[in-house]
Amino acid sequence: MKYIRIGGAMTATFALSLVTAPAVLAQTEAQKALAGAEIRFLQPSMPQFAALGKFIPEFEEKYGIKVIVDEVPFDQYRQKSLVEMQQGTGTYDFYAVDVMWLAEYAAAGFLDPLMPYVKNPDLTEEGYDIDDFLPRVISGTGVYNDTLYTIPLGAGPVGTTFRADVAEQAGFKLPERFSPEFNTQYMFDAAKKVNNPESGMIGFANIPGRWFWGVTYLPYLYAFQTPETVGNEYLDKDWKVTINNQNTIDSIDYFVSLKEFMPADSANWGIGEATAVYQQGGAFGVWNYQDFIKGFFEDPATQAAVAGKNVHLHTPSGPHGVIDPWFGAWSFGMSKDSKNKAATWTFIQWITSKEIQERATEFGAGPSRHSTYKSETLAKFQPWWLPVYDFMLKDTNPDERVRIPEWAEISDIMGEEGNRVWIGEIDSATAAANMETRMTAAMKKGGYYIPGRTDLPPQNWRDLTYYDRLPSQWK
Amino acid sequence: MIHAEPSQRLPVHPRSRGMLARFGPSNRKVFPWVLMAPTLIILFGIGIYPFLYSLYIAGHNVILSKPYLPRIFVGLYQYHALIQDPEFWHALRTTLWFTVQAVFIEFWLGLGLALLFQRSLRGASVMRVFILIPMILPPLVAALIWRYMFYPGAGLVTYYAGGITRALGWGEIPFLSDPTIAFQTLIFVDVWEWTPFMFLMLSAGLASIPRQPYEAAEIDGASSWRVFWTITMPLLRPAILIAVVIRTMDAFRTYELIVIMTRGGPGNATTTLNVFLTKTGLEFFDASKAAALSLIMMMIIIVMSFVFIRVFRSRTEAAE
Repeated sequence: MKYIRIGGAMTATFALSLVTAPAVLAQTEAQKALAGAEIRFLQPSMPQFAALGKFIPEFEEKYGIKVIVDEVPFDQYRQKSLVEMQQGTGTYDFYAVDVMWLAEYAAAGFLDPLMPYVKNPDLTEEGYDIDDFLPRVISGTGVYNDTLYTIPLGAGPVGTTFRADVAEQAGFKLPERFSPEFNTQYMFDAAKKVNNPESGMIGFANIPGRWFWGVTYLPYLYAFQTPETVGNEYLDKDWKVTINNQNTIDSIDYFVSLKEFMPADSANWGIGEATAVYQQGGAFGVWNYQDFIKGFFEDPATQAAVAGKNVHLHTPSGPHGVIDPWFGAWSFGMSKDSKNKAATWTFIQWITSKEIQERATEFGAGPSRHSTYKSETLAKFQPWWLPVYDFMLKDTNPDERVRIPEWAEISDIMGEEGNRVWIGEIDSATAAANMETRMTAAMKKGGYYIPGRTDLPPQNWRDLTYYDRLPSQWK
Repeated sequence: MIHAEPSQRLPVHPRSRGMLARFGPSNRKVFPWVLMAPTLIILFGIGIYPFLYSLYIAGHNVILSKPYLPRIFVGLYQYHALIQDPEFWHALRTTLWFTVQAVFIEFWLGLGLALLFQRSLRGASVMRVFILIPMILPPLVAALIWRYMFYPGAGLVTYYAGGITRALGWGEIPFLSDPTIAFQTLIFVDVWEWTPFMFLMLSAGLASIPRQPYEAAEIDGASSWRVFWTITMPLLRPAILIAVVIRTMDAFRTYELIVIMTRGGPGNATTTLNVFLTKTGLEFFDASKAAALSLIMMMIIIVMSFVFIRVFRSRTEAAE
């Protein structure tokens, strides 16, 4: 009787799993013919890629296509990828593409548009369902000039992580994510309350290194905007650089005020240094990126000092209640020079399928599909994603870091001038003025001020409905 | 050995005979060029052609990451833009200051060591090997070692130095975070790595100085200080010239050390011309500006070397 009950339960579970499990992709005939092909991928070393890497042997076994992965540190990635792309040798069949560099890659013609592959039933398996991707995520990561160039592998907002246990010991409780209570003043005061370097606890592990401002300072640049200046942080409608203003100065001053909690030798701290201090239990708070949370803060196997003790918040809102709406994301883009495009697409559509996206969340990859957000796997292994679903659907602005090929230079200029304020070489007003002068030169070099030029890209960040198109509607 | 009689030799094709007459050893004007041709072709391929191509690129508007921008001839615009760029002047000042400080310290330390090792010391040969180790290390490895030695909070130097300064109530020493200290830290590492080179070159120079002038000075009762300035230094001048010129050119082009340890930061405190060049060429892919910058750098190095050689030669001639 006992065995019958167990058997019945197993049958019921199996039947249920058939109904609820994501659609398992079936190979097409064209894909079967690709067995024996070899494709090369260039990626940065990051937790989400490590999570997806676990699935490559499964892909190779299923399709007979060999995937060779080359990995370089994040800070060398753009340089390496652009050198490879502009050589046009097709060394790499596909690349990891950061949302902030898409414009540069796509405008140069280094990537192949992907919609023809998505709509090719010989290469895209039934059940792939491109419309299952969150509209702003797929358009934000992969669309340039109305054309789909990449498929995302997870996309999330930037945020902050704090030690809930430390706050409790200090007699306060940290607010929930998106709580209006969590603003720049709150964050500063909370950090000050617990800051005690003598006992090995700094208030906030900020990231002031010159090469990171384009990521870590921006949440504050946005936070210090007023509702009227949102969208004009860098450029006005005529592409004139606008960064030299009081909001920028105030945001730099705030960012640099966090220096109060940091050791004297922290001016070059990057994500690695700040995260390491937090992981070792030496900081109350740190910047985060949603895709890093599992690997960097919540993995009990590797982060024993802090795992399970954290609260993951958004970046703080500013004095006028504005919060940073942008998200960061990586995606897969196919090289225009790939000699194995069918095999490459077979991999991209497989690794970004509903099934693999959901299973990868167990290992730290983030969601970019509706189905992944709603899956039990995500809820079980990375519950901190659930509060950002609505934000990613309705509030996020994928283009806050203006989608133009000049972004890398703009970001570098901000970092250099900002870091000079951090080390006390110049003040924030001088930095803002220098930023404006140098960014204007970069825009001029990019041809934005050629009189009569009519082919300048649209400033889509001013009209968010642009990003709400169903993914299948892109070219 | 069997020699074939002229009548038994294989017949030579009249055309081959003509070629031999034109390019063979009998044509004393052309034959040396024939022998040098392979070398000249290689030299042109790896030296002159890239130089000419750099000139071409610097005269145009080429941004490798923006192939959609038209490649137009811009004349001397890139040079003009560089001269107007405060970043360029900052990088030039930083480079010159780094070069002057590093070479100055390395020269005097190297000379001191060379003079010390000229005496018969016990274990000198073993010590010589140890002194040369930093120079043998690849610059990248040396930079990485020191990067970790100065790693904030966890490096060997920061840990122990920090322990001492904290005990004294001074706090941490920001070895790589303070603009002035970071610059001096880089000079320290460069001195550590390249003083052995100066030592080696100057030791060789000292060994080649004849003994007679010293013996004559001893008979005349000259002080060691006077011997040093009137005999050693003048006779060491050729070795000093070579060592200083090589090191100056090398220090001027220092790259790995700075990129690994500070990447030109904090701010732009340690951004030298080479770091600026790499940023321009390989981060912003502005090939034209980078080409113009590299040509300017080349001119500076040529001028500096020329000045060194002229100054040393005139002083040597005056001494003779």
